[in-house]
Amino acid sequence: MYFIQHIESITHQDSFQKENIWNELKPLAAGSELISPDYKNYIPVAALRRLSTILRMGITASKACQEKVSTEFDAISVGTALGCLTDTEKFLVTINSVSGDILSPTAFIQSTHNTISGQISLDLKNHAYNMTHTQNALSFEVALKDGLLCMDEGKKSVLVGAADEAIPFLERLRGNLIKTTHPFTSGATFLVLSDEKGNGIAHIEACDVSFSSEDTETQVARFLSSNNCTFQDLDLILEGSSVFESKAKKHVSFPDYSGYYQSASAFALHLANDWLIENKEAQTILIINNLEPDKLGLTLIRRNEVEA
Amino acid sequence: MNIYVTGYGVISSIGENVEETLLALRSEKTGIKQGEKTYTERFKVGEIRWTNDELVQRFALTQDASRTALLGMIAAKEAFQGHTLDPEIRTGLISGTSVGGMDVSEIAYKGFLAGETDDLDLYRNHPSGTTSEQIAKELGIDGYVNTISTACSSAANSIMLGARMLLSGQLDRVVVGGTDGLSQFTISGFRSLMIFDDEWCRPFDETRKGLNLGEGAGFLVLETEETMKRTEKKPLAILSGWSNASDAYHQTASSPEGLGATFSMKGALAVAGLVPDDIDYINAHGTATPNNDLSESHGIKTVFGSSIPPFSSTKGYTGHTLAASGGIEAVFGILALNNGALLPNLNFKQAIEETGLVPVKNYSEGNTIKHILSNSFGFGGNNSTIILSKV
Repeated sequence: MYFIQHIESITHQDSFQKENIWNELKPLAAGSELISPDYKNYIPVAALRRLSTILRMGITASKACQEKVSTEFDAISVGTALGCLTDTEKFLVTINSVSGDILSPTAFIQSTHNTISGQISLDLKNHAYNMTHTQNALSFEVALKDGLLCMDEGKKSVLVGAADEAIPFLERLRGNLIKTTHPFTSGATFLVLSDEKGNGIAHIEACDVSFSSEDTETQVARFLSSNNCTFQDLDLILEGSSVFESKAKKHVSFPDYSGYYQSASAFALHLANDWLIENKEAQTILIINNLEPDKLGLTLIRRNEVEA
Repeated sequence: MNIYVTGYGVISSIGENVEETLLALRSEKTGIKQGEKTYTERFKVGEIRWTNDELVQRFALTQDASRTALLGMIAAKEAFQGHTLDPEIRTGLISGTSVGGMDVSEIAYKGFLAGETDDLDLYRNHPSGTTSEQIAKELGIDGYVNTISTACSSAANSIMLGARMLLSGQLDRVVVGGTDGLSQFTISGFRSLMIFDDEWCRPFDETRKGLNLGEGAGFLVLETEETMKRTEKKPLAILSGWSNASDAYHQTASSPEGLGATFSMKGALAVAGLVPDDIDYINAHGTATPNNDLSESHGIKTVFGSSIPPFSSTKGYTGHTLAASGGIEAVFGILALNNGALLPNLNFKQAIEETGLVPVKNYSEGNTIKHILSNSFGFGGNNSTIILSKV
């Protein structure tokens, strides 16, 4: 079993270290900002100065997860769609404006996608399996699938997460390249998968990804039936858009709360987990990540059984 | 259950396919020379002479894309040659890249900074994930497509993930490897780190000063035994071991004692069910930076003790091809297995004083080589090792 032992999110919602993130949840207003925790509690001030938002979020959410579980992670799997955009852009500006041979390497060093997972391993002094996945809007799901695979291979406590950060430049790509009406936002969600239930409420039943032009409804139907499930069994559908609204008992389009970043389906998993806290009868939730055409991520979440 | 390699493809500055690559390895001919593009002309690089447009033409590619994607398509197409798509054989693709489509987006962005109109459509090629989607499309592969971005160990990690996906039964066949095209961004990045050597790089040499960058792609096709019954493919090699460990020492530097390297080599041996004495050749990461080669040497000494097998770095041939290196060097490893070849560590003269390790100096064939171990280490402390074995 893939129990969600703990989950943390830093987003434009007040979602960090909350009992239930639905309590503070509001539809995003235009111009909303990232609600940053006090990073100083997790990152030394001297180091903090040099870290971009995505690194701050990733390290802080991971450390908050580590604090809540007793075991050291025996694998770390991180997904990011566009990676460290702030440092990438900063270094692009530097190489186009600084003449001469002396360039500061900091932005370059911090521009690679695996800086997030690398910094996490450094901060936690963790020598375990360490992986960075990047697959556009499916970046979280491919990282999650690796985490599930690690569990199948016998690992006991796996940190899985996703992070992406918005930069103003993205606005220039709205419309033609990035088709969304939601504001561009930043966010990170990290969770601990465990073979033990702990105090957790839910587990991941299955996760699948596909890069395909096949009709989405056919793919969703096949996924549900291979997991012995029908739309009737789903207490909530969290979706990247609202194609499946009519098929759902209860439907939430998660970008309404997360805003648009390509790994926002990780936040949808946090929404799913916490939704089970209040809705005591609810058992099963499906996340349909159809943020981008021809890509589909499907994650099935179930409530943990309570022993008599 | 064994994981078999049933296809391989490679492009780098020493050759545009497997055959040319073997000829270059045999003749001990480096692909590194003074750069010919505006952003490489000041450096010694292992660059592929063709422009992006020329690559599309020359290799009859169907898509216009970034250099990283184009090089990936070329190597992946060669690897997949003779394989056919079949709905009954679930085929995935995992590619590693560090720079993604930067070579085209940096041109657009430069125009933007200069206040010119930048072609916004160029940015479509930028995401690393897009490069893999484009490579998959070129082969007609859909379903599971993924990109690993762990800097210089990306391809090795893709190979490893592919094997694990097959073992878990999620895929029947998978195309794995890595690709990175040279870009201004990468050249300037490594320049800012001040780890270039103005001369030809000298891995494992006492006088080594740094690396030469290169570009290219290397891909393998992996299948299970079950799948091979249906595809009737002849295996080129067995992928017998793999491991990934984190050095957790420094964002860019390796730990002096080679802790992560030691973990990843030991881990791969354990997966393969082999002992150090079984390894007949080590294809080292050996970037020729003072730090990597010393750290890796210590790791090798820790794992292999006093009986260190023949080892070498082939970076003197290709330059450091970053995310592609693990894929390119996996192809080198298979060539070594099937030709009984020991690959030379070009430009080596003088052993590192502290370790005294002497790598393979000359190319030779007809050696007994059953198992080779290949290292790929990346920034962020991402250390990976794979083991390839003779069928």
